[in-house]
Amino acid sequence: MRPSQSFLRIWAVALAVLALLVGTINLAIDPYEVFGTPRLPGISLFKPITRNHALLAKTFQVARAHPATVLIGSSPVHIGIDAAAPVWPSSMRPVYNYGIPGAYETSTSLLTLQEAVAGGGVKYAVVFLDFQNFFSPENPDPALEQEERRFRYLPNGTPNPDARMQRAKDMFLATGTMGALIDSLTTVISQRRPNVLNLAPDGSGTEADFIDAAHSDGIHDLFAQKDVFEAERAQKVTPVMAGWQGTLPDMDAVAAIVAFARAHDVKLTLVIAPHHVDALELYWRAGLWPRVEQMKAELTTLAASRGPGVTLWDFLDYSSFNTEPVPAAGDRRTQTSWFWEPTHFKKQLGEVMIQRMFGSDASIFGTQLTPGNLTAHNARVRADRQTVVCERHSVVLTAYVTPAGSEC
Amino acid sequence: MLFNSYVFIFGFLPVVLAGFYILGARRREWARLWLTAASLLFYAWWRPLNVLLIAPSIFVNYGLSRFLEQTRQTQPRAARMALIAGIVLNLCFLGYFKYLNFGEQALNDLFGAGFLLTHIVLPLGISFITFQKIAFLVDVHAGRVNHFTFREYTLFVLFFPQLIAGPIVHYREMMPQFQAASCRFDAENLAVALSLFFFGLAKKLILADPLGRLVGPLYDQAAAGTPQSMTDAWIAALGFTLQIYFDFSGYCDMALGLARFFGIKLPVNFNSPLKSLGIIDFWSRWHVTLTRFLTAYLYMPITLTMTRRRMARGQPILGARDMGVSAFVTMLAMPTILTMLVSGIWHGAGYTFVLWGLLHGVLLCINHAWRLIRPRIWRDTVSYRRRMAPVAFLLTFLSIVFAMVLFRASTVSAAVILWKGMIGTYGATLPQAVLLRLGPVGGLLLALGVQSAWTSGSFLLTATARIAILLFIALALPNTLELFAAYEPAIGVKPAKTPGRLLHLAAWQPNGTWAIGLACVALAGLMSLGGIHEFIYWQF
Repeated sequence: MRPSQSFLRIWAVALAVLALLVGTINLAIDPYEVFGTPRLPGISLFKPITRNHALLAKTFQVARAHPATVLIGSSPVHIGIDAAAPVWPSSMRPVYNYGIPGAYETSTSLLTLQEAVAGGGVKYAVVFLDFQNFFSPENPDPALEQEERRFRYLPNGTPNPDARMQRAKDMFLATGTMGALIDSLTTVISQRRPNVLNLAPDGSGTEADFIDAAHSDGIHDLFAQKDVFEAERAQKVTPVMAGWQGTLPDMDAVAAIVAFARAHDVKLTLVIAPHHVDALELYWRAGLWPRVEQMKAELTTLAASRGPGVTLWDFLDYSSFNTEPVPAAGDRRTQTSWFWEPTHFKKQLGEVMIQRMFGSDASIFGTQLTPGNLTAHNARVRADRQTVVCERHSVVLTAYVTPAGSEC
Repeated sequence: MLFNSYVFIFGFLPVVLAGFYILGARRREWARLWLTAASLLFYAWWRPLNVLLIAPSIFVNYGLSRFLEQTRQTQPRAARMALIAGIVLNLCFLGYFKYLNFGEQALNDLFGAGFLLTHIVLPLGISFITFQKIAFLVDVHAGRVNHFTFREYTLFVLFFPQLIAGPIVHYREMMPQFQAASCRFDAENLAVALSLFFFGLAKKLILADPLGRLVGPLYDQAAAGTPQSMTDAWIAALGFTLQIYFDFSGYCDMALGLARFFGIKLPVNFNSPLKSLGIIDFWSRWHVTLTRFLTAYLYMPITLTMTRRRMARGQPILGARDMGVSAFVTMLAMPTILTMLVSGIWHGAGYTFVLWGLLHGVLLCINHAWRLIRPRIWRDTVSYRRRMAPVAFLLTFLSIVFAMVLFRASTVSAAVILWKGMIGTYGATLPQAVLLRLGPVGGLLLALGVQSAWTSGSFLLTATARIAILLFIALALPNTLELFAAYEPAIGVKPAKTPGRLLHLAAWQPNGTWAIGLACVALAGLMSLGGIHEFIYWQF
């Protein structure tokens, strides 16, 4: 046989063998949780790569999980609410955490809820709402829209014709691509790291990134960084809100979530997610607090109009949880108990919230809003702010972002 | 249809190859017709309307060429008029699709003319096809092409491996190969072709594209008017230089490989341009066939005209002992700058490309001037080359990188922001997380004025590592032409007489080691498919 013929033969065989090998490795390690391959300790127990592929991983996971309760929201839910926490009432289990990091649009929450309910068996939905989303009209995000093509239903509730093809593509990309191979190998290598990021089969994320950053940079830096981000965000939405007429942006998306839950006999709990006082103060000083109260009012009206199947909880207030002091700059040892930074609460606080909403905890943290208590609640929150900010001077970090003026 | 797409690699190419070999075994003419039809399908795949646009142009050019062939000796005046008409027609064709909006925009900017800009869809590869057709007309008129048929002409114009982004080929270097090609399965050609193709695919998808995704946001920020720190500006400049380097290098390798599947060798188009020791050297390595076209059909005619004029006036010409500045300006600088201006405009209809061309023109003039002056200052050429090679390399490299910012930036002001960033106008910053981990070095950097920023440390590390690896590949490793030299990967490429040790060890051979190595490269490339990753040069 001539050398070139022999070359071609070896090349073809090697290519086929290598392709088969790579496909098998990717399938066995399953870095994106697409196939639900059994996890092997030391090889694929932890899934750190899902950090950047949460929507992909969770959409395949939720179809396998058949939960009774689904948690909907963005990264605070993904990180801060443990679907396996012992405080969940047995009637609500199994719980699946469908919080999507980076999902800044409330419309994504509708799509994830539809997706979870389409799998069957969902009786309860707990939808966490980020108050900032109500202050900026949704902007089309091509990357997110691309990700959302795998959902079985479109925002208007009709079947998505692209979903089947997208999922086939997902499965191919999870087995037959270079990215998948690199991610499989990274998954294996990462197993021995002391604080490896993971995505549990019930959708709960780990706090590994925050733990790492808190130890290397200190909690102060985490707060400072997020304060800058939130200050810019508040500044950006202030002019938009100044001339805004009518119901707030994103309220339509929440109404659609409520209508969907009612139509599918799912008991819905809407939750205005808690934030550290730093974040609240940024929006207060940006002059947006009346809009926060408008949001609470509109949500209260919406929840009340849909009957007993919908409840609304407000954790956007002042309590010992969200006013805990932040360690000083350079202090990398002192840790906080309830918040990683102004917008991400810790799992401990997540458990307190679950107990408050679904257990018998009568702590003063969080309030179930009704048309009857809304006005008093808003007045109490304002009074609490006066005490916390002006008398106790608990807010320190935002001072250099948005200087204190005549707010007190 | 992209070379780096599933439909091309697993559908179009195998079918076209199978058809070519089967038909070629019976009658070579059928195989050539099949190849022409396949090329037409390739061109139409993107937008079928493209064929309707290019077909009349092919007919007209063929008719004109026939006329030139018949009249160039008997009616030279008519032939010359036909040639001018042909060139003008082709330039108008190109001008309408590519430059109308830019021209109107420029008039609006300059005189407030108020032209309404309309959206014109650019036919794919129009710049390359137009130049190739002009070159053909000129060659026919000059008697360098003597016999051709319509079938041969269409195959020459439409041959899909070089249709969209070159190389820009001459009829006289292609058609004898088509006529001589066996059009049958040839294991050696296939082995070389597969290797070149997958080398190119890997360069494009594994080396170039990830870098593009890293630097893209930096150019977007500059376009939005955001000042860029020194670190980010250099990442943007170096990153894009390497992105386009491996993108175009990958494309050229794939084009060489694709042509070789059919037994055809294309001319050299890319030859390690970052290893250049001067801008003149750079342009003899980067997009070689464009340089060849512009030199032959624009630069040389202008220079010749100028030379004749000066000689007629009794003025000294270039190279004469009493040559003065005016000879340099009229016979070298002016043609060079004009040629590079055309090169810039050819690359894109925009101010950034105009300036990019002009900048390269100026750099070429400086290089030419130095070549004329240097022997008077430093007589010993051998010692000059030995001692100054690193300086020449560094100056050339920095000039290329600075100029490339214009090539990528969407506006001139964005380029200026990045240039200002590169020279430190907006200060130097490092991510807080990186500075913290640098320990005492971090402290020293802070003392030197480097500021900490809430930017991503992983971005900085990823970008720096990628740039370092790609620089090593581009500057230290042998290129594809050298690796495959024993098998003439491009027209006229021969093995080096004294190959380096690395090249001696790594030179491509049709053996088991290379087959397994290439299978790994091919699999890595194939597994990196799965998105729209256009070649940068396809937009021209």
